[in-house]
Amino acid sequence: MACNVTERQRAGVINPIFTCQPAGAQFASIGIKDCIGIVHGGQGCVMFVRLIFSQHFKESFELASSSVHEEGAVFGALKRVEEAVDVLLMRYPHVKVIPIITTCSTEIIGDDIDGLINKLNDELLQEKYPDREIHLVPIHSPSFVGSMISGYDSAVKDIVKYFATKSEPNGKLNVFTGWVNPGDVTALKHILKEMDIDATVLFEIEEFDSPLMPSGQHVSHGTTTIDDLKSTANASASIALNRYEGGKAAQFLESKYGIPVTIGPTPIGIRNTDNFLQNLKQITGKPIPRSLVKERGIAIDTLTDLTHMFLAEKKVAIYGNPDLVIGLAQFCIDLEMKPSLLLLGDDNPNYGEDPRIKELKEKVDWEMDIITNADLFELEDRIKNKGLELDLILGHSKGRFTAIDNKIPMVRVGFPTYDRAGMFRHPVVGYAGAIWLAEQMANALFTDMEYKGEREWSLNVW
Amino acid sequence: MPYHEFDCSTCIPERKKHAVVKGPGETLADALPAGYLNTVPGSISERGCAYCGAKHVIGTPMKDVIHISHGPVGCTYDTWQTKRYISDNDNFQLKYTFATDMKEKHVIFGAEKLLKQNILEAFKAFPDIKRMSLYQTCASALIGDDINAIAQEVMDELPDVDIFVCNSPGFRGPSQSGGHHTICIAWFNDKVGTVEPEITSDYVINYVGEYNIQGDQEVMQDYFKRMGIQVLSTFTGNGSYDDLRAMHRAHLNVLECARSSEYLCNELRVKYGIPRLDIDGFGFEPLADSLRKVGLFFGIQDRAEEIIQAETARWKPELDWYKERLKGKKVCLWPGGSKLWHWARVIQDEMGVEVVSVYTKFGHQGDMEKGISRAGEGALAIDDPNELESLEAMYKLKPDCIFTGKRPGEFAKKIRVPYLNAHAYHNGPWKGFEGWVRFARDIYNAIYSPIHQLAMLDISNDEIPTDKGFVTRRILSDANLSDEIRNADNLRQYTGKFDIIPDLRNKTAEDFPYLRQDKLEKAI
Amino acid sequence: MEDLMKERIEQLIDYIMKHCLWQFHSRTWDRERQNREILTKTKQILCQESVEPADRLDRCHWVDAVVLAEAYRKNYPWINKLDTSEIAVLMKGVHERLDYLTITGSLNLELTDQHY
Repeated sequence: MACNVTERQRAGVINPIFTCQPAGAQFASIGIKDCIGIVHGGQGCVMFVRLIFSQHFKESFELASSSVHEEGAVFGALKRVEEAVDVLLMRYPHVKVIPIITTCSTEIIGDDIDGLINKLNDELLQEKYPDREIHLVPIHSPSFVGSMISGYDSAVKDIVKYFATKSEPNGKLNVFTGWVNPGDVTALKHILKEMDIDATVLFEIEEFDSPLMPSGQHVSHGTTTIDDLKSTANASASIALNRYEGGKAAQFLESKYGIPVTIGPTPIGIRNTDNFLQNLKQITGKPIPRSLVKERGIAIDTLTDLTHMFLAEKKVAIYGNPDLVIGLAQFCIDLEMKPSLLLLGDDNPNYGEDPRIKELKEKVDWEMDIITNADLFELEDRIKNKGLELDLILGHSKGRFTAIDNKIPMVRVGFPTYDRAGMFRHPVVGYAGAIWLAEQMANALFTDMEYKGEREWSLNVW
Repeated sequence: MPYHEFDCSTCIPERKKHAVVKGPGETLADALPAGYLNTVPGSISERGCAYCGAKHVIGTPMKDVIHISHGPVGCTYDTWQTKRYISDNDNFQLKYTFATDMKEKHVIFGAEKLLKQNILEAFKAFPDIKRMSLYQTCASALIGDDINAIAQEVMDELPDVDIFVCNSPGFRGPSQSGGHHTICIAWFNDKVGTVEPEITSDYVINYVGEYNIQGDQEVMQDYFKRMGIQVLSTFTGNGSYDDLRAMHRAHLNVLECARSSEYLCNELRVKYGIPRLDIDGFGFEPLADSLRKVGLFFGIQDRAEEIIQAETARWKPELDWYKERLKGKKVCLWPGGSKLWHWARVIQDEMGVEVVSVYTKFGHQGDMEKGISRAGEGALAIDDPNELESLEAMYKLKPDCIFTGKRPGEFAKKIRVPYLNAHAYHNGPWKGFEGWVRFARDIYNAIYSPIHQLAMLDISNDEIPTDKGFVTRRILSDANLSDEIRNADNLRQYTGKFDIIPDLRNKTAEDFPYLRQDKLEKAI
Repeated sequence: MEDLMKERIEQLIDYIMKHCLWQFHSRTWDRERQNREILTKTKQILCQESVEPADRLDRCHWVDAVVLAEAYRKNYPWINKLDTSEIAVLMKGVHERLDYLTITGSLNLELTDQHY
């Protein structure tokens, strides 16, 4: 009985876990205030990403396309970017930040967006918009490298690199949250507040959950400001919660501005949240307050009611963003569950060196497979054809048919979670996240028991 | 001057020729929006790409096919499950999608070997499926991989498989429409005529330009079967690859979405002498006329009349119940390509709503000709709309409801305009007689939602009516109705089921007395 | 008389524009054929002449014409009072007007594209 790490053997992907890099870059850009990104490529690259964002959040986000058509693909399409910048600036007077996000097509044809941006800064912006503050940020995110995860990681670094400006130290902590939900940001800010820590949270996405107001128009936007981004260079320390989502930016700040960096842990579950608080204490010198002890206590109390009665021995498969998957696996182990299959969805070569994966390999005493460069067929094939038995699946909505067809209860986590209402509003991090996750898992198992008629009477007296 | 200039687009004057207001006494010869031109970069247009038009709209609804995109994963992921084209093949085409997972090394060195490996792996993973469609993406087009050659190699090695190749990368053309064209012509050139079908009826049609959104195709196919007609193939909703290779044997092409597939019907007419009959499956009167025409063509119009009579008797009292309550409500008809003209007149005549604007994301001038002809006076017609123009139009026109895509529906919601999904529907199917009532019901529920009412109240400024209690939809909708109509006992609300497709799928031979008894096994 | 004829033609054109799709194929030559064949047959049906479709393609024209003629009779009762020569003149006017609106006067730039 052991934990094995293998790579997907098939050459191709059947049912992908991730979409490609530009989606990650676009997710980073919508977190910034007064920012509208231009995706330089075919229109599909932005139209579909706006669609998946709208499915996940039930909101519309502003992103533009350079609309590369056939002529551009043959002769080069930089003129389209130039026009796109001009059109965007003319029609959206509040826009200050325009990430120029490349795609596979424009990287293959070799459009030099960095050169173009220099040209625009000297020419168009000087001539036509001399009194406006405008930042054109180049982000290279071809789809044939990495995945939406690395696209997000690179984009965050490119954005921070562009804006970070050394001046007076601000005594703040840079918190790179990674690809999380608004509910996670709320939970993280709560913890920071309880510990009296002044932080720059990247990115401020709580406003993604925007209201329907009785008058006017209230569209979803992130609220991280240019000043926030500039001041990252003046922080006293950085912490990147997700190694693969934001780690690059934190490391950049260390190498360029000497800002000490802590990578991880992803604060999912009690143990990881404890470690997170310990890191915060060490970095900032702030004590961990009684209020958090009480919150932790409520979480422990909740979990104790669930673990040995219901969750123990449950075999679970987990897929999605890598830090999320690993964090969830660790939490499940704390809950006496048995993560049996972890799917990491891209070909990042660093997974093998990840100490958390090494730890799983060392300590796990049941059959667990970790598949890198995985797709969702790896999950389905094992269930249908290789006898994998599962009690629960944790993953995003694209895998829903595997759960539905094989009648395995599934709790939606990660991105995207469009086939359940309001998942983005809840945290998976912190003690609040531990409570939410455990209760979601329990309730999913309970519903399944009732539909299958398996010990459903046991819940009468719980 | 009927061309309409948006305030938000005065800085991009090329947009002016893309919008027209239908004025009194004006004809199509006076003004017609430009169409199918290059998109204005940075305008935040609604358009997608040609890969989507080919692979997602037309290719993937084919239900018994492995659909592989040759390129990095994004294109595939994005077009997986994101449209509601269902099938009676356990939704194989929704559940499984395939990408060759091109990486940087393939961009540099080529990916033909990768592609071949993928094809073989896919057939191995699904040994019961012997048909495949391969789709080019921007990446594989730009590196010049010869997909057709690889496909031929595999077909030579595995004689029981057949592979269709569609070379429609995202940048081919200004919008999705380029992809429709590419795939139609490719299917016609490469696949039509390569299979001889079993003919099970004296009346044989291809049903073209229908993608089985929420079961539309199955509703219409049911009518045809009740008339004893063999639907040889459907291009491509709930459609089968080999059936579509046999399109050349039909007597008639019944065409719904001309925007996406009139190219195919035109070519079939020229080469095989198969006539093209354009129909509308939406709305009682257009649908009745459509069934009549198909019936007349085959000399079985009495069977069409049977269906029309039975369906009308069953469902008209329900349609009219909603019509009485939707009269005068203003709607914006903002779909992708064809629905602006399928719905523009009939939704007004049969549901009482007033269409104040029509638009098309990727349509051509022909779609505008049809849409403007059918729309009422004063309607604002927009080609290739962008977000600011849509907002400006909504603020100006103040519609009670808008029929558009899922994402633009979200920002319509923010300015308190309820939306219905024109592409994938809310509670469809919306074709057919019962379907049309379901549509009316969805509109009714959207407009008369008590939550929608509450959305208008500003609790910090307005007086909160604490003495009023709750309102039902009927209280809202019936407020200004005469007693006679309010209490009309010949009208009633929708009485159909939540999901109407299983009943269609469970029908047996007895339900189709006109289908040839000796061919029933194939025909059902 | 002139005005009455014009008004009647407009009514019949309006019906086609609101209810029919056969006049909007995508190329000039297709529209010429559709308008000619379908309106000729409509006139023949209204004049109670017998119509013999030459082949399948022609039968499809006839189908559209049958439904159109029925609709005209139902929605424009004045048509039932016309004699055959009046119908001929009327339908000729409809044909000319339709050709103008859908072909010669049309602003659709794709009509002259050589390929489908």
